[in-house]
This record gives sequence, structure tokens and C-alpha cells, in this order.
Amino acid sequence: MKQYDDLPGDGGSDILGQVVRQQGRIQKSLAGLRNIVAVASGKGGVGKSTVTLLLASSLQRLGRRVAALDCDFNGPSLARMAGLQNARVIPGERGMEVPRTLSGIGILSLGGLIPEDEAVDFPSVASGDSFTWRATREFTLLGDLLAGTDWTPFDLLLLDLPPGNERAFQYAEYFGPAAVFLLVSLPSAVSLGVVRRSVASIGKGRARLIGYVLNMDGYRCPGCNSLQPLFRQAAGDELPVERLGGIPFDPALSAGCDSGKLGGTDAPAVSEVDEIGRKLIDRLEVGDSTNASAAGSER
Amino acid sequence: MKFLCVECDAQMQLQEASSATGDGGKLSIVFECPSCSRQFCMLTNPSETQVVTSLGVRIGSADREPKESKCPFGEMVDRMGLAESPSGLDWTPEASQRLNNIPEFIRPMARKGIEDFARAKGYRRIDLEVLDEARERFGM
Repeated sequence: MKQYDDLPGDGGSDILGQVVRQQGRIQKSLAGLRNIVAVASGKGGVGKSTVTLLLASSLQRLGRRVAALDCDFNGPSLARMAGLQNARVIPGERGMEVPRTLSGIGILSLGGLIPEDEAVDFPSVASGDSFTWRATREFTLLGDLLAGTDWTPFDLLLLDLPPGNERAFQYAEYFGPAAVFLLVSLPSAVSLGVVRRSVASIGKGRARLIGYVLNMDGYRCPGCNSLQPLFRQAAGDELPVERLGGIPFDPALSAGCDSGKLGGTDAPAVSEVDEIGRKLIDRLEVGDSTNASAAGSER
Repeated sequence: MKFLCVECDAQMQLQEASSATGDGGKLSIVFECPSCSRQFCMLTNPSETQVVTSLGVRIGSADREPKESKCPFGEMVDRMGLAESPSGLDWTPEASQRLNNIPEFIRPMARKGIEDFARAKGYRRIDLEVLDEARERFGM
């Protein structure tokens, strides 16, 4: 009797073929990007979106053409933080054009399309059972956004991921080696403990974990300008991947997030963020050359 | 999922499928053996239907026009008055093609934004030039 692999297709709907064709459209759409960097954390509220936007500004200052995609569909915040809450969507020659900040950073966030008093609610024929299908639907939405957007003006795409270790792992599986992962944690033992699990989760997949950033890594005393700790840090709290740097807490940062003015060279902590940006580019370039030589040896 | 006629050792072929949104999400899909012509019908409950349609695929045939919208925000789009309706503005085929190239769930918002821009400018027809002008206006 024939087995699964003996039968071509599924006899009609070609479900697998439809999924594969969509994957092809996504690959084609992302083909011009040199790097995809996923900003992730198992812990919520650690400042992934803040770090994403600060890094976007820094990487742009360092010469990269940067876009950021807000993958947190249920709690999108990048549009507000970047001052693009009322962005218009323009259909371009190669797909949807990415709205840009005044400094030219591309920001694609559902927060610019859906009013904040509306829930992101998918219509369903199976009401009450969303736990069985919702994650799948959200990844389909992600695929539609990736495939239907014109990314050609950019060479580096930052992905601002939703929180959670299961999410980090799912995104690592979704992108595989096409994306590198940068983790964000607070310097607290609790946060580092959760994010340590992110290292373990992502390490199981094929995605490359490039390092981590500590957000709210102390604060500058307005009196003496010294850096004071916000959290108790103990020996052994560091994560088993490279620490690319820390970003001190600054009330001006949160004010900048709320007012949509986070980018620019006048942003707080710009020197610390630029240092992280430089290290990130260095590590990405090492990966680029490794990938290129691996591809060369395969040929 | 694939189906095999055990007697003929032949793959069952899809004959017809009901709409995934009809009958409260219950789906009926008829398969037939190309050798002995026996048929069977696969019946799914709403949860099973939803799990498959969440992949963004069309059940029945990849080429079939979907009866169900892929828009994940359909209710919100209706509430915001963005659903497809005669706007009094003509879209040229080239401009419509561009609109159709963007993700389906964003089209109503994109269309409204462009039409608002065109009305404010006194245009009655939306062509590629109007799209380019809107692009300049909105700083893309």
C-alpha cells in the first residue's frame, strides 16, 4: 500500500503548495536585505521596542539603511514611539511602501494602522478556541506583511518581537538562519533568569544568537554624572552570550518614547547605543563573511 | 493530509468543498477515487476548519476565488467605515494593480487614505501620478 510520500500533492487543495509559494514570495521580498536582526526577550517590559528604535537610529548614523517591523501585533508600540501613529499606507510599485520617520528610518507597525482603542481581533469560525489557532494566524499575518511590503530601500531590517520565550523560539524557527537574534534584558536577576532561558530556547534552532543588551543599566546621577545601579547585580548573573553593551535609564528616554521623538543624535544615551550599534555591525559583518565563505565552499 | 483508496491503492482526488465560512465553519469536502469512483466526504468542525484556514490557504483549490475574506480585522474595518464601497473615484487599472499588490488586510486603509488625499486635491480619478503625489506628500 502506498505511503504518504508516494502520493503527489494532497489530491486537490494543494495546501502545502500554497504555503510553499507564500514562503517563496517572502524570500523574494526580503532578498535585498543584507541583515535581519530580531530583537527578542523572554521577559516582557524590558524595553525591546525602545532598544529597537534606539538601535535603528544608531545603525542609520553608522551608514545602514534601516527599517523596523513591529512584530508585536497585539501590543504594537513602534508607530507611537516613532511619531508615526497617523502614517498613511501607500501602495508602491513593489508592494506597500514603508512609512518613514523624519530621519528616514522605515517603521512598519500595526499601531499606525489600527486605533489604540481597537483590539487586534481575528474573525474566526471557531469562537472560544483561539488558543488552538491564533499563533498560526499571527505568523500568517507576519508572512503577508513581509511578502507584501517593499523592503528594497533598506539593507537592514530590525524585528521588534513580542515578549515570551515561546515566541522567541517560534520566530527563531520561522526565520531560521535568515535572522540573527539580539536579546534584551534588565540587569535584575529575575529578568536575566528568564532571558537565560531565551538563550537556551533560541540555541535549539538554526538562528544565530548574536548577543544581548542590558536596558536600564543604571542611571546617571544628575548631580555628579556618575552611573548608579538600578538593580542588584551579582556575580554569575551575566548571560552565556556576548554582552554588546548597556543602556542607562534616562527619564528623557521614556518621554521621547511617549512623544514619538526617540530617534536622532540628540537622543539620550546616544553614545552607549552607538557603541552597541558598532559592535552589532562588526558581529554582523563577521557573520556575512562566514556565510559568504560557507556559500562559496558549497558551490 | 492525503487520502488513499485502500482497495485501488490510488490517491483520492478532491471533487468539491463547501465554503469555510458557511454553516458556522463546518466544512464538507468530497473526495473520489479516480480508479473505482468511490466517494467519501470529510467533515470538519469549526476548530479544525479554523486551524487550517489560519495558514492563509484556500481550502478546495488554490486557484478558487476565496469566498471568505483574509482580512484579520474585518469587523474593525466595517466599524471604521473602510469596507469596500462606491467612493465616486475611479481607479485606473494600473493604480488598482498597485493596490492589489499590498497585503489584503491593509487595502481598505490604504484605499481610504489615498481617496481622502485625492478628494482634498479635487481629483476624481486615481492613477499612478496621484499615488506618486501622495507618496511625496506623506514623505515615503
